[in-house]
Amino acid sequence: MALTTTVEEAGGAVPVTVVALDGELDASNFERLIDEARGLYETGTRRLLLDLSGLTFLASSGLVALHSIVRIMHGEPPPDLESGWGALHTIGLDLEHGETQREVQLAAPQPGVARVLQRTGLDRLFVVHETRAAGIAAF
Amino acid sequence: MQPRHLRVNADVDELADVRRFVRDAARDAEAPIECLDDLVQAVDEAATNVITHGYRGGPGWLDVGVGLADDRFVVTIEDAAPAFDPTAVPAPDLGVPPLARRPGGMGVHLMREATDELAYRPRPGGGNILTMVRSRGPRRKEKG
Repeated sequence: MALTTTVEEAGGAVPVTVVALDGELDASNFERLIDEARGLYETGTRRLLLDLSGLTFLASSGLVALHSIVRIMHGEPPPDLESGWGALHTIGLDLEHGETQREVQLAAPQPGVARVLQRTGLDRLFVVHETRAAGIAAF
Repeated sequence: MQPRHLRVNADVDELADVRRFVRDAARDAEAPIECLDDLVQAVDEAATNVITHGYRGGPGWLDVGVGLADDRFVVTIEDAAPAFDPTAVPAPDLGVPPLARRPGGMGVHLMREATDELAYRPRPGGGNILTMVRSRGPRRKEKG
């Protein structure tokens, strides 16, 4: 099953771009998702909600994409995929200890996807909302 | 269940078929959803490693086998890539904040988290054989 993305501008006082992921995020398509996020940043997106309700599978390469998207929305240079997460140490330097970045947030992960986030500790990188509406409202 | 095999080209575009093959096998054997998800995750990560690290994006093949013995799923991934033992990859330090963490190892970490046993042996004649075992019920690691 391929991955499709649907982009929608939302939010009230604070503009939020919502990207809904449908399908499976794996090694065949994670770079495309990173490119899409980069394109959104270049056209002005600074706050991004990823609606994961339609995401049925998340591979470790997809985690690299999520990580990279956080970096992009923080205005950091494009990640070097060859070094994976090696260059990611610079993000978050301005965050207080224990504070979570809020530029990229997640909504409605299915149980299997939530388990992958939890097993890798990536759940600590994101505020995760139960619903898309709650996510939009949280920015 | 009769053992099943699927041979695919070493191409990331084949991963969806690999996952479907494992999902179908687990579903036909009436695996609980957590077990099914774990098998799919472990096989995807292992196959991705073979394609991207083993063959380094070059041509090749991998053979995925799924069997069930004593209520345990036994999955093998066989390839002819240069020797690579994923079980030797050190576990990531999850105590480090995610933003500060060193790269790599997440795929193997997920393979370990999703299975009860992970065993590597060189393939006679060249290549690698990775065997992953996952109990049908809750993993022993999770029973505490």
